[in-house]
Amino acid sequence: MTVAVVSRRRRAKNRAMMSILILCVAIALVPLVAVTVYTFQRGLRGLSGHFFPQSMKGVGPLDPTGGALHAIIGTVEQVGMASLISVPIGLLVAIDLVEYQRGWFSRSVRFVVDVMTGLPSIVAGLFIFAFWVLGLHQGFSGLAAAMALAVLMLPVVIRSSEEMLKLVPSALREAALALGVPKWRTVIRVVLPTARDGIVTGVMLAVARVTGETAPLLLTAFGTQVVHSNPFSGAQSALPLFVYQQAGSAFVVNVNRAWAGALTLILIVVVLNVLARSFTARTRIRDLIRRS
Amino acid sequence: MLSTAFTIGAVNKRFGKSRYLFRLTIAGSAAIFLAACSSSSKPTSTNGTSSSTTPTGSAVACASGSISGAGSTFVQNIAQEWIKNFGAKCSGANINYQGIGSGAGVQQLTAGTVDFGATDVPLTDAQTAALESKGSVVQIPWAAGAIALEYNLPGVTNLQLSPATIAGIFAGKIKTWDAPGIRADNPGVKLPSTTISTVHRSDSSGTTGAFTAYLAAAAPQAWTLGSGKTINWPSGSGAKGSDGVTATVKQSDGAIGYAEVSFAEGAQLPMAKIKNGAGSYVSPSDGSAVSAAISAAGSPSAQGVVTPAYASTMPGVYPISTVTYVVVFKSQSNQSKAQLLRNFLLYAVGPGQSSASSLYYAPLPVGLVTFDKAAVQSIA
Amino acid sequence: MGASALVLVLILAIAAFLIWKAAPAFRSAGPRFLTEKQWFPDNTPPKFGIASLAFGTVLSSVLALVMALPVAIGTALWLVEAAAQSVARPVGYLIELLAAVPSVVYGLWAVFVLVPALVPVEKWLAGNLAFIPLFDDPQHTFGRNVASASVVLAIMILPIVVSLSREILRQVPGAYREAAMALGATRWEVIRTAVLPSARPGLTGAAMLGLGRALGETIAVALVLSSSFDITWNILSPGGNTIAANIATKFGEAGPAGQAALVASGLVLFAITLAVNMAARAFVYRGGVAEARP
Repeated sequence: MTVAVVSRRRRAKNRAMMSILILCVAIALVPLVAVTVYTFQRGLRGLSGHFFPQSMKGVGPLDPTGGALHAIIGTVEQVGMASLISVPIGLLVAIDLVEYQRGWFSRSVRFVVDVMTGLPSIVAGLFIFAFWVLGLHQGFSGLAAAMALAVLMLPVVIRSSEEMLKLVPSALREAALALGVPKWRTVIRVVLPTARDGIVTGVMLAVARVTGETAPLLLTAFGTQVVHSNPFSGAQSALPLFVYQQAGSAFVVNVNRAWAGALTLILIVVVLNVLARSFTARTRIRDLIRRS
Repeated sequence: MLSTAFTIGAVNKRFGKSRYLFRLTIAGSAAIFLAACSSSSKPTSTNGTSSSTTPTGSAVACASGSISGAGSTFVQNIAQEWIKNFGAKCSGANINYQGIGSGAGVQQLTAGTVDFGATDVPLTDAQTAALESKGSVVQIPWAAGAIALEYNLPGVTNLQLSPATIAGIFAGKIKTWDAPGIRADNPGVKLPSTTISTVHRSDSSGTTGAFTAYLAAAAPQAWTLGSGKTINWPSGSGAKGSDGVTATVKQSDGAIGYAEVSFAEGAQLPMAKIKNGAGSYVSPSDGSAVSAAISAAGSPSAQGVVTPAYASTMPGVYPISTVTYVVVFKSQSNQSKAQLLRNFLLYAVGPGQSSASSLYYAPLPVGLVTFDKAAVQSIA
Repeated sequence: MGASALVLVLILAIAAFLIWKAAPAFRSAGPRFLTEKQWFPDNTPPKFGIASLAFGTVLSSVLALVMALPVAIGTALWLVEAAAQSVARPVGYLIELLAAVPSVVYGLWAVFVLVPALVPVEKWLAGNLAFIPLFDDPQHTFGRNVASASVVLAIMILPIVVSLSREILRQVPGAYREAAMALGATRWEVIRTAVLPSARPGLTGAAMLGLGRALGETIAVALVLSSSFDITWNILSPGGNTIAANIATKFGEAGPAGQAALVASGLVLFAITLAVNMAARAFVYRGGVAEARP
C-alpha cells in the first residue's frame, strides 16, 4: 500500500490552523478562569462571619457589618415557589404532548412553548409587574417574583421533560398496554420512572438557570434590607438582586458584599449544575445500552 | 435540626431509595433550617407602642410593623442611618428604603407600592395632580445637605470652580482640565491636559433637578439646558443613582460628577470648592456653610416647599445646598402603618438630625423642624 | 389533558395582556415609535421611540457575535476533531459550566475587572485607528461603552455557541471524514472540505441562537453601559443603550404612559428575538441535528 506524500506546504498549513484552533480554546477558557478566579478572590475577601447569619437590618451606610441572609431566604423561597408552580404543570404538559397525540392542538401547544423559550427575562418581569404588581394592586412580593420565574422556567421544564419522555422506548409502553394496563397507569408506573432521572436533570438545570436571574426580580421583588419571610406580601430581597444593588454602590463595604454574594451565587449554580449532570451521566449510559 | 435531616437522608439511602431523594431532603431541610433561624431571630411584632430613650435622653416613640419607602438617593445615606438607629431603639419596626431616584420614588408612591416617597425637588404640578387623585399628600422637608462636585484628577486636590465654569463643563463646552475657564478659577495650580469626562444621572433625579436649578440661577448665561429631573445632556456618561455617579467618577481618570456630599466623602473622592455669590470659594464639607445656605433659604411655603437661594450673595454659604422632601399620603388605610410612619418621621426630623453632621448633611434649622413636626401630625 | 389547555390559554392571555398594555404607546407615538431616538414618554407631549434602543441592541449583539463566533467554532472544532477524549470531556464540561454563571456575576466582574482592563486597549484603538468611524471617540472617555458591553456579551454567549456547535459537528457522519482521510487529506483539510460544509447550516443556526441570547441580555449590559439615547457608530464613546437595559432602569420612574412605552419596547424586543430564534431553529434542523437544546 502506498502512503500518500503530503506536501510541506499542506503540512505547515495544517499545523498553523490547528494551532489557531488551540488558540481559540485558550481564548475561550481565559474568561472562565478570569471570572472564577476574581470572584473567588474578591468574594472570599468580602465573606465574613456575619455574611450568612445577618441581613442588612441595622446596618448604616458605611458599616462593614451586615450580610445576605434576607437575600438567601428570598431566593430559596422564590425559586422554591417557582418550581412548585412550573414543575407539576410542565410535567403534565410534557406527558400530554408525548403520550397523547392530539393533532393540531399538540402542534399549537408545542409551537407556543417554543416561542416562550425565547422570552427575554425582563419582559417576563415586566408582564408580572404590569399585571400583578400594578394591575391587580398586589404590590411587590416574593410571590410576584416566583410567578415571573415560573413563566421563565415553564417552557424549559416542558421541553426537557418532553425530550426525556421521548427517549423512553415505545416497547416498554407497548408491553404494559399489551398486559392490559390502562394508559394513565402506564404513564405513572412505567414511563415516568424510566424517564425520572432525565426529568430531574432538566428540572435542576432550569432551577439553576432561574436562580441566577436578576432582571425579573427588579420589577417584582423590589428588594428590602430585612429578612422578610412572608413571600405573599411585601417586598423581598433575593441573592442576584442583592448583588446587583450592592454592586452599584461607590462604597467599598457594599462592593465587598456584592462579591461575596456573587461567590455564593456561583457556588449554588455550579453545584446544581454538577448535580444535574451526574444524573445525565446515568441516562447517557442507559442510552448507550439501548442503542447497542 | 440539620442532624435530623441527615438521619432521614441516610435512612433513605440505606433503604435503597434513590440518592436524589437524599439530596433533595438535605436541600429542603437546609431551607427550613435557614427560615427557622431567621424567624427565631425576627422580633415578634406587637401592635402597641413603647418608648425607649436615646443616649441624649430624649424619648423616642416607637411603633411596630413594616413600612417601605423609595426615592431620592440624595437622602439615602442619612435615611439608612435613621433606619438603623430607629430600629435599634424600636425592635418591632421594619423599615425598608430603596434609593431608586426621586422621580421613581414619587411614581411608586402614586402607584401605591410604597408607603412614603422621597424627592429632592418639590412635587411638580403633574405629580401633585396624579397623587391628589389618590388622596391628599403632605410634603415634608426632612433633611438638608449639599451637592458636591466630586472629581477624579490625580495630582489635583484643591480644585476651585465658579458656576460659569461648571456650566461650561457640563454643557460640553469646556473639554479639557487645563482650559482657560478652569485655569482662571485656579490661579497658580498646575492642571493636566486630560480630557474631562462628565458624569450625570441617567435616571429621573432630584439631585439633577437641584443641581440644574442652581446652574440656571447662578450662571444663566452659560447654562442653557434648562433644569429638571431629566436633562438632554449633550455629552458625558450617565449613571444610575448618586451611587452610580460616584462609582463612575471613582473609576474614571479625569471624571467629574455631582452627588450629595456623603457619597463623595464615603468614597474618599475630592470635592471642588465652589464660588458663591459673595465671591469666595467654599468647600461642601464646611458644615456651617451648608447650614447658612439652608437658613438663608427662608421658611417653607404652605405646601412645605423650601426654595433654596442658589444665587444668594450672602457671605460664607455653600451655594449648592438644598433640602430634600418626604411625601406621604395624609390618610392611611392601616392604623399601625400610620403610627409607624408618624413616629419614624418624628424621629427623623427630631433626634435623627443629630446624625446629620457626622454624615455630612446639615441639621434642619429649628423653624423647619417645628413646621415638620406639625405636618407629620396630619398623617392619620 | 387540562394542563396543556391551561398553558396554552395562559400564554395567549399573557400575549394579549401585553399587547393591550402596549397599545396606547403605539397609538400615541405612531410610526415615530420606530424613528424617534429620545425616551420621554411621560412628557406632554410624549416624545419617545426605540430607534436608539433598537440600534444599540442590534449593534452590541452583532458585535458580540462577530467576536464570539470564530472563537466558539474554533473551540468546538478542536474539541470534536482534534482533541483526545480525555482532554475534550473535561474542557467541554468546563465550558458548559461557564454557561451556568449568572449574568449579574458577569456584570459585576465586567464593571470592576474587564472594563478597567479594556480601557488601555480602547485608548490604543482610538489613538491609532480613529480614521475608522467605529473607533473614533470625540469625547476621549473610555470604558462604559458599547465596545465593552459587546465584549461582555461575547463572553456570555460563547459557551452556548460552543456546546451547540459541538453537537452539530458530532452529527456530521463519520463516513465523510473517513472519505476525506482516505484521500490523503490532513486534519485541517478534512475539517475544511468534509466537516464544515456539511455542518454549515447547523453552525449558522448555533450562531443565531447565540445572537438571540445576546439580544435579550439585560443585567450585564445595564451594569456596564452608561445609558444614552444616541445613534452613533462610535462604539468607544460612552453611552448607548439596549431595549432590555432601558426597561430595567426606567420601569421605576415610568408613569402609565411610560409603562405602556416600556411594554411596547419589550414586545418589539420579543419579536426580534423570536424572529432570530425561529430562523436559527430552521437552520439547525436543516443541518440535520435531531434536537436543538434551548
